[in-house]
Order: sequence, then C-alpha cells, then structure tokens
Amino acid sequence: MSLLQLQNVCKSFGPTQIIRDVSLNIEQGEKHAIIGPNGAGKSTLFHLISGRYKVSSGGILFKGAPIHNLEPFQITRRGLARSFQVTNIFPLLSVFENIRCALLWSMGYKYSFWHFLSRQTALNERAEALLEEIGLFERRNIPAGELAYAEQRALELGIAIASGAEMILLDEPVAGMSHSEAKNAVALIRKVTEGRTLVMVEHDMNIVFDVADRITVLVYGEVIASDVPEKIRGNPRVQEAYLGETPHA
Amino acid sequence: MGKLTIWIVFAVVLLVLPQIFDSVLSLSIFTQMTIAIVFALSYNMLLGQGGMLSFGHAVYFGLGGFLAVHAMMMIEFETLSFSITLIPLVGGVFGLLAALFIGSFSTHKAGTVFAMISLGIGELVAASSLILVSFFGGEAGVSGDRTYGPPFFGIDFAQDDHVYYLAAAWMFFAVLCMYLFTQTPAGRMANAVRDNPERAEFMGYSARRVRFISFAMAGFFAGIAGGIFAVNYEILTEENLNAATSGRVLLMAYIGGLGFFIGPIVGAVVLTLINSLLSNYTDLWMLYLGILFLLTVMFLPRGLTGLLMMHRVAWQLGRMRLLLLPYTLTAIPGAVFILGMIAMIEMSHAEDAEFVYLGLALAPAGYGSWALLLGVTAVAFFVLRRTLPRLREAWSQANTLPRQPRHEDGHP
Repeated sequence: MSLLQLQNVCKSFGPTQIIRDVSLNIEQGEKHAIIGPNGAGKSTLFHLISGRYKVSSGGILFKGAPIHNLEPFQITRRGLARSFQVTNIFPLLSVFENIRCALLWSMGYKYSFWHFLSRQTALNERAEALLEEIGLFERRNIPAGELAYAEQRALELGIAIASGAEMILLDEPVAGMSHSEAKNAVALIRKVTEGRTLVMVEHDMNIVFDVADRITVLVYGEVIASDVPEKIRGNPRVQEAYLGETPHA
Repeated sequence: MGKLTIWIVFAVVLLVLPQIFDSVLSLSIFTQMTIAIVFALSYNMLLGQGGMLSFGHAVYFGLGGFLAVHAMMMIEFETLSFSITLIPLVGGVFGLLAALFIGSFSTHKAGTVFAMISLGIGELVAASSLILVSFFGGEAGVSGDRTYGPPFFGIDFAQDDHVYYLAAAWMFFAVLCMYLFTQTPAGRMANAVRDNPERAEFMGYSARRVRFISFAMAGFFAGIAGGIFAVNYEILTEENLNAATSGRVLLMAYIGGLGFFIGPIVGAVVLTLINSLLSNYTDLWMLYLGILFLLTVMFLPRGLTGLLMMHRVAWQLGRMRLLLLPYTLTAIPGAVFILGMIAMIEMSHAEDAEFVYLGLALAPAGYGSWALLLGVTAVAFFVLRRTLPRLREAWSQANTLPRQPRHEDGHP
C-alpha cells in the first residue's frame, strides 16, 4: 500500500477549478517532486494534503486512513509534516525556541503545564542536536526574525523535520536563494530527509532531477505525467507543456 | 540561581514593606497593589503572552469576587466552615469555571473576533449583575464579614495588617504560579500561537486549545485577585466586573509593558499609586492617567518596563555614566515643562479666585498668571528641544557595541 494516496481530488474556489481530478500514489521512502508552470496548482495541492484547505471532492489517504477531513494539527500528529513557500516561523521567539516548540508534540508533552521546559534534558538535547544538524547552533539565542534569509529557510526546514514525521512536504525549499545557498540547502535536505518520504514542489529543474526518484507534472490542475526522471525528460507532452519553456532543463 | 535570589528578595520585600511604611494609608495601598498585581498578570496571560485582546477581563475578577463574598456569608451563617484564608481560592475556582464556560466558544479565534466577544460578554455580565439582585445585590452589591470562621493560628483578620499578609501570601503564590506557567509547554506554545497560529497547527497543536488553556488560567488567577479583593473590602458591587475595571487592567498591563513578565507588576504598582495618591491632590487624576496611557502607546510601545530594559546594553557596556549628564540636562526643562502644563490644566479647572500651586499664588481670573505660566512652559519646551540632540548622541554612543560580530553575549 502506498504511504499517501490521492484519489480523484478536486478543488474549486467558487467557479474556478484549481485542481482537476488528481490521482497520485506516493510510496514509502520515495523522493517525489511535483513540477509545473506557475499557477498549475502545486501549492494548492500541498495545502489540500496538509489540511490547510479542504478538498471539494475526492479523497486523500495517509497510511491507508482518510485525512482530507482532518484539521492540520491532526494530520501533523499522524506523521505528515510540511514547510512553507513563504517562510513561516515564530519571528519573536528565539531560534532555539522555534525548534523546541516544533519538537514538543512528537515528544509527548501535549498541552502540559506541569513540565518545566528547562528541566527536560532529552527535549533540550534533541533541540540542540537538530540545531547542529541544520547549522544554526551558533545562532540559537537570537530571535528567529533576525536570521538571514537562507538561515530562515534552514529553520523552516528544521521545524518541518523536527516532529520526526515519516512524510515531509517541502514547498519550494530553495526559492529565492543564491546558487551556492541552494547547493547547501539541497545537501541539507538530502541529509535530513534520509530514510523518510519526501514530496517537494520546486522550480529549479537541476535540483528536481538531482533529488527526485519520481516526478509528477501538474498543468492547469491536472496530472499530465508521473514517472521516473528519465521518462519525464523524454515525455513529449511534458516537453510541450512545460519543459519546452525552460531550455536548460 | 539568580532567579531563586530574585524570588527570595521579592518575598522579603513583601514581608518588610509594612514594617517600613506602617501608616494605615500605606498598608491599604500595599493591599490594593497585591490585588492589582495578580489581576494585571492574569490579564497579561491573555494579551501579552497569548495575543488575546480582552475588553472583559473584569468578568472573571468580579464573578470570583462575588462568589467569594457569598462563601464568606456562608461561613458567617455557618452553612460552611473553613478558614477565611482559603477565600481567594474560592474566587479562583469560580473564575476558572466561568472562564472554562466562556472560553469554550470565545477562544475559537484571536484578533478582532475575540476582542468583540470579550466586550459583549463583559457588557452582558455587567448588565445582568444589576438585574439579578438576589445574587449580585443590585446597586448596593453584596457584603460579607471576614472575621467569622475558624481562626487561622489565632488570627481572625480583624486587623488590616493581617489582611495585608494574607493578600501578599496569595499574591506571591499566584505570581510564582503564573511565572512557572510561562516555562511549561502550554505556556510556551501560547507565545507560539500568539506569533503564528497557523504554523503552530502544523506542529501538531490546536491553536484554539492552546488559547483556551491560557484563557482558563487567566480566569483562575483573575478570580484569585477577586477573592483577595473580597477579603480586603468585604464588599463587591457591579463596578468590580464592569467595563471600567476591564479597561483599568488593560491600562495596567499596557503601561507596565506587555512583553515582559514583570511589566504588568510595574503597571499595577504605578497605577495603584496614581489611583490612591494622585487622587488626593487633584480631581483630574484620570485625565493624567489617560495622558500617560496615550504617551505610552505612542512613544513606549514596550511600556515602562521596556523603557528600563532599553538601557540594558548601555548598562552591560558600563556606559551609563555617559547618559547621566544629558539625562539631567533634559530632565530639568522637561520637568518645568510638565509642571507648567499641569499648572495650566489645574488652573483652568480651579473654581476659587486664588489657586496655590507649588507655593505659588496664581489668579485664574487674571491674565498675569496665564501669561507667566504660558511663558515659562514655552521657554521650557524650547530649551527641552535644544537638549535633545545631545541626548540622542550620547544614547548612540552608549549603545554602540565594540567592533565584533553581533550577538556574542549568548544571552537570549
């Protein structure tokens, strides 16, 4: 059974159909990229999977159970975490607090008001280890809003992976980065998603073909191809609809 | 260990204060302060820590207080029998129950929706308190007597200083609990939800549930404050749960500074002093309070505590002395300016032919006094502006870090 199954998912905003009858299976351990021109509905698809939007029709199954009627926090608790295209952190809290908050639920603290955070050795050690991993240990005490852009993206990634989710959705993780920053970010993504299932939306074709085991091409809300990178490269419909526009692909 | 020292000093100050200032007035002011501190801190659990702007926090203070008075009456008529020292807890429990009920629907959303619901509930409860005479006692309110019930180690709380120590003990306990709450997962997630509720949901937390917990806690501690109030004044009226009381607690928290745990404590102390001391000198004290609030909103968004904390960098760099002279130079014309403004405000309000201000006999009816005050105030304002560039320069000098990478100190 596939880890994530999308079954005839449709999403309309008023009369406008954004996602048209998308069916897609994502297997355990797969690194999957979703590509497509601007306005194809890639981010909308992520919002549907993660519960930010509700589907108009169709179903989404995670580990075999339907999740399309659940709230974002319920979906997260089941092991599906995501990052955002626009950096979405807690700007006033310190970098350390950002990561520690992201760890709380998965470490079982729930809404506790009877544990003191400073005494939770395992929690604090894990937060520090994670900060080391994403390269922000030195910056742990400053407010997250004061980080440089690439650092905020690393923190965004750190928050997404903190829960130890089996499946991670990354929405344009390297958008707006310089070439060298993007290179570092890709290396970091590879490292931290090791052994997990990754789905990402990305515009940079070099990165997509570098990271992904399988690629889905979305055009005007429809899946026109979903296959391994080599086949996608050779697919005439994809070339016509999408890759034709980007000669460097 | 620094934190433990602060708490010990806090406890010692509470114990010693009434020994140093032992007049009836100061004792009454200290007791009022303890009530205001608990109430303002509970309010800050909503606004400062949880991002919920409430215009109806007096509801939980008042309902807790009313129930506390009723409990005192039951002790008096021997329906119940427990020590009066537990009355604040009765207030807390009922504040909590009210907050659990109202919070179950008011915390769905933060922002404007929450603010409007809190305003509506506040008006609703205040209005019904005048109608439900049997419980709230109408305009006259309900009153009890704290001297009944089993004595607490021989103390029957007939004396004001006994009441102060009871209030101070409850205040210490409540402040400690509220501080510890900020150090727990629920307390920290309240900050996270305040800053970015959406992201908190994608970390597994229901923003609504997080707000609800803070809301219930705030209701509990507001109820404790109401209970202390009941023990101290032995009477509660509609005034204790209406919009004016809700507004006053907002002012306390805001003027003190929302972003700091001690902010509302500072605000509660300052406002209690204004309320009980300034009102002896002038009928217009509420006007000055309003002006203070406006100035805080406009120039000190982080409150009085923020103003103090601004000096942390200069203090750590050991450069406070650079600021001493410029501050003094600005303060002298500043004080003259403020006193001049106050003199004119008070004079326009004076009814008698003669008006004595700071030993100066002024004549509100004549032009001479007005011209004098206007002249002095205008000159002070002009001089004040002349001193500002120097202060600004000293400020930037005192706050310039030595050349090294930023954020080296390792303090959060």
